[in-house]
Amino acid sequence: MNKRKLSKSGVPTIPMNEPMSWEDWLKGRRARRETGNRVAPEIIRRPSSSSDRRLRKLFNGERGLPFKKTEEL
Amino acid sequence: MKPEQIQQALADITAETDPTLKHLKLASLVSAVFRERGIELVVVGGSAIEFYTEGAYVSGDIDLCVVSSRTALTVRLRQELMGKLQATGGPRSWQVGGLYVDVLASFENLARTPIRRLNGPCGQVGISPVEELLVERILISKYPGDYPPARECAMKLLAAALQGEVETDWAEVKRLAKSNAYKNWNEVKELVHEQAQAIQVRSPYHSDE
Repeated sequence: MNKRKLSKSGVPTIPMNEPMSWEDWLKGRRARRETGNRVAPEIIRRPSSSSDRRLRKLFNGERGLPFKKTEEL
Repeated sequence: MKPEQIQQALADITAETDPTLKHLKLASLVSAVFRERGIELVVVGGSAIEFYTEGAYVSGDIDLCVVSSRTALTVRLRQELMGKLQATGGPRSWQVGGLYVDVLASFENLARTPIRRLNGPCGQVGISPVEELLVERILISKYPGDYPPARECAMKLLAAALQGEVETDWAEVKRLAKSNAYKNWNEVKELVHEQAQAIQVRSPYHSDE
């Protein structure tokens, strides 16, 4: 069995050649968000798109559900 | 899947308030229902980027493309399969579980690296290869004009790849960027260097200098 790879931050790497378990993917959520936060704003959802009308209707004027805060992941 | 299993999964997805989990759970359910009829789907676009980066990018829709199909995916069949999920709308876009799901045409993919696979709660979810997502977002960020949202996505994807959070074939990234389909190797190389510096890791193209 292949040894599970870990990222530089110590969480399971999303592998290239084998499926990732749900549990491993969940374990890496916070670290992935923190990595992204080092290079770009925390939330980068587009302010508009061609789907605006249907999205804002479904999400009470927003384009989707609010994101969890990094510390809640 | 048995109707009661679908019902249980739908209840869970509908109640889910975390947008990323909601997308992934729904992708898993839709993929499972299509797979039973010999149709393999892959998540593309913003949701694929979200699953790799947790980048807080997704909105309220999820895009899936057809990778392979044992049978013709007719409008009738799409409606039948999405009907199992109590979806409304169609023939390519449905509302289900509190999101929109778009099942688009055949998967356009030039990457030679595999579709990544996550074992979701209802079965495997295919995710568009990170290598092409990277090159594509960097292209969109520059052409036809500067587009900061695509650049931010590319920056987060690159950071995840450089940090080893997503196993990435850097030679394939380079090949795609140099290909006629993209022709953006200089922009890709520059952004890789920039992000490597930002997170203080060595650029995979360091020795190319």
